[in-house]
Amino acid sequence: MINLRSLFVSAWMGVQHDLAWTYPPVSLALQVVAPFASAMTVSMIYWFGSSNSGAGVSFNPTQLAYVLVGSTLYAHVAAYAWVPTVAIAEGKNLSVFQHIYLTARSTAVYVAGRALSSFAISVTTSLAALAVAYYVLGSFLSTTVPLTVTPVTALMLGVALVADIPAALGLGYLLGAYSLYASKFEWSLPGYIAGLLMVFSGALFPPSILPYPVSVGATYLPFTQFIAAARVAIVPGVSGNYLYSLSLCTLGGAILLGVGLMVYFAAEKKARKDGVIDRRMA
Amino acid sequence: METRPWLRTMKARALVRLWSIFGERLWIIVNMGFPILSSLALSLLYYSIGATSYIGFAILGGVMVAFWGNVLWSMASQFNWDKQEGLFEIYLTSPASMSALLIGMSFGGIIGTAPSAAMVITVGWVLFHPVVAASWLAVALTFLLTLASLYAMGMTLSSLYLTYGREAESMNNVLQEPVSMVSGLYFPALGAASPYPFAIQAVASLVPLTIGMDALRKSLFRGMDVGSIWPSLVTLAVMAVVFLVISDFALKALESKGRRDGTIAVRIR
Amino acid sequence: MALDGVSLGVNRGEIFGVLGPNGAGKTTIIRILSTLLLPTGGSASVMGFDVEHEPEKVRHVINMASGADKAGYDFISAKRNLWFFSQLYGIEPHVAEERIGDLSERLGLTKYLDRKFYALSTGYRQRATIARAFINDPRVVFLDEPTIGLDVMTARSIRDFLKDEVRQHDRTIMLATHNMAEVEAICDRVAIIDKGKIIAEGSPEELKRKLGVPALVMEVSPPEKSFDALTQVAGVRGFTSASDEERGLSTIQVVVEDDGSARRAEEAMAKSGHKIIASWRKETTLEEVFVAMVGRGFKEREEQDGD
Repeated sequence: MINLRSLFVSAWMGVQHDLAWTYPPVSLALQVVAPFASAMTVSMIYWFGSSNSGAGVSFNPTQLAYVLVGSTLYAHVAAYAWVPTVAIAEGKNLSVFQHIYLTARSTAVYVAGRALSSFAISVTTSLAALAVAYYVLGSFLSTTVPLTVTPVTALMLGVALVADIPAALGLGYLLGAYSLYASKFEWSLPGYIAGLLMVFSGALFPPSILPYPVSVGATYLPFTQFIAAARVAIVPGVSGNYLYSLSLCTLGGAILLGVGLMVYFAAEKKARKDGVIDRRMA
Repeated sequence: METRPWLRTMKARALVRLWSIFGERLWIIVNMGFPILSSLALSLLYYSIGATSYIGFAILGGVMVAFWGNVLWSMASQFNWDKQEGLFEIYLTSPASMSALLIGMSFGGIIGTAPSAAMVITVGWVLFHPVVAASWLAVALTFLLTLASLYAMGMTLSSLYLTYGREAESMNNVLQEPVSMVSGLYFPALGAASPYPFAIQAVASLVPLTIGMDALRKSLFRGMDVGSIWPSLVTLAVMAVVFLVISDFALKALESKGRRDGTIAVRIR
Repeated sequence: MALDGVSLGVNRGEIFGVLGPNGAGKTTIIRILSTLLLPTGGSASVMGFDVEHEPEKVRHVINMASGADKAGYDFISAKRNLWFFSQLYGIEPHVAEERIGDLSERLGLTKYLDRKFYALSTGYRQRATIARAFINDPRVVFLDEPTIGLDVMTARSIRDFLKDEVRQHDRTIMLATHNMAEVEAICDRVAIIDKGKIIAEGSPEELKRKLGVPALVMEVSPPEKSFDALTQVAGVRGFTSASDEERGLSTIQVVVEDDGSARRAEEAMAKSGHKIIASWRKETTLEEVFVAMVGRGFKEREEQDGD
């Protein structure tokens, strides 16, 4: 049974952990840097490739917006989907994790709280990164990046962001299950997740260019549909159906969350049986 | 400086790194993940927009991102992690040279990262058959000098990170992507084809990666030989020496300050 | 100020203990002598080399280990860890190999040499840490709580090893600890430190003899945290107590000047409403020496510093 107080206090701990290592506004500002740079890199790649390839290929601002939005949002998902991993690994190393386990008898609520606080921070920093990148790209490339931000489109984007939470949590629980049971290499998982999302979530290019049947799987990933819905919301001229993508994202997210929780609880049970709940990471 | 003990220390530290990496086979696979996948994603981006002639840039970028990640996470942060584990004070109370330790880490890091780099090239080659027109001597020299200057920069950063402590990891997060962005890992950051204004190009040129990537692309994809890219080679060599000198000086100064302030072996958990 | 006017000398070939509660300054002494920390005043030297001006020379002849750290690289074996540290001292590989074998055998580590460091239990990691502290054949070894957290058998075998090292190889060991049994078991001389000051120095037997009389131990009921009545008793130099709520009593160790003081202490307890369940005299320990000097035991001193 979800204990709301545990959820909130875990989220509070997440905020402390993510922001309190220095003056929080500074910490928040610094966390804008990485998604901004990542979005800029990908956008520059698009600009360079399309502007310097000769006949048949030309720079298209809408395509730039496509890449910019996709790269910002995949980074957002990658940033908070791996928080369960870090919460467990750090908790083990600091010898607090076993005490959380004993308190709540399942750490799933704690992990969810940490992920949700990270979601909140990541939304803030990602949208800030998107805004800064929008202006910088416009300045460097002497172009206007077509993005439509109105109360309606902002609401649509917000709904898409929230709809993606179950999927990201589900992924987080799957990664967390590994972290719970294993005792090494968990720190490398975020790199893999970021990389896989870059390739398969339609962040930078339509998943249809991937070979069949990989393209089918990639198209129906909840993360792909989340990014597609977000693009339809704020990039004018991009093809797609907002409600269709949102529905697929929600459905896929629910399935992934269910699977993630099942795997996580099974890992927790096995970790207890094998006595590794309080085993420190190597 | 006694040469033999210095070399023994360097060799021992390099071996520790290699034993750690190759002793856990899974680690090699784990470390490859992001470089291969990011290189693949960006190659596919070039492919999706019809810019297939630049796919090689993405593959080359993936190779160097593996080394850049190693410089930040396994070089710059290493002494800080050693400090947390109580190893740093063992180093300090031994006659071992800090520079020897760092250079040993560099060698170990370069060799340990080589499998990731090789896999990026292999995957990229098999999937995309990028076109190269290489002057191989220039490529080899540029590559080696870029690594030398990059790891020398890592040595300098490690002494700075000793001061920061826990914030060091956050500094890595701040440095990793922006440097990738301005140094042109995947696209030209210098010259006429660069999207950056001159001021940014000038600042970016202070990072060895920027000069190195530019020279690597010229030698690998445009066949420019040593005679054509010698200014870049000289710059990289000078950078390597300068960073080595700075790191040596900074380590000594920080050690002295740390001993005086009593913070040299303080752990922040 | 971590240390205040500390002045001590350690003779070659002895095990010298630095004993005191947490926060007394023991680790600070070790850090200064091992060249990790510069003194703000005064001077210190190891084997004739000044720690401030000749740290490189000091580092060639010392080594150190802390019980709080089981420092090593997790993903390589214990043997390779030891080999690595030997190379930091420029030791020839074949010499290093011999030393690793010898130290491992004497510390019971041989069977575990090929295990990765993270896979070793606490006890074996500590044995490896101790082995590392002797790998360079140091003249002086600094040990900071080397047996903390270890089981009795492991702690005993490490102490036996340390005694052998001093006896057979003429090493000097400085041992910082708050474990009085450890000091009494292996130290030739000990300095008792409190709040940065050396309050007593000598061999354990000398220090205990100075007190003159055996301590008084009382089990009283009901249990209490503090027994202020005893502070008013003439001839009571100090006391320390521990409560057992389950058994419903406190055990008080009182350092007294003479038998009369012991009798008065018993009377004071009875007058303050406590029933004395049992009382007896016991041989003086180093904690009683500390209590006699400071008026409180280690536990009470640490609690005081925490307030």
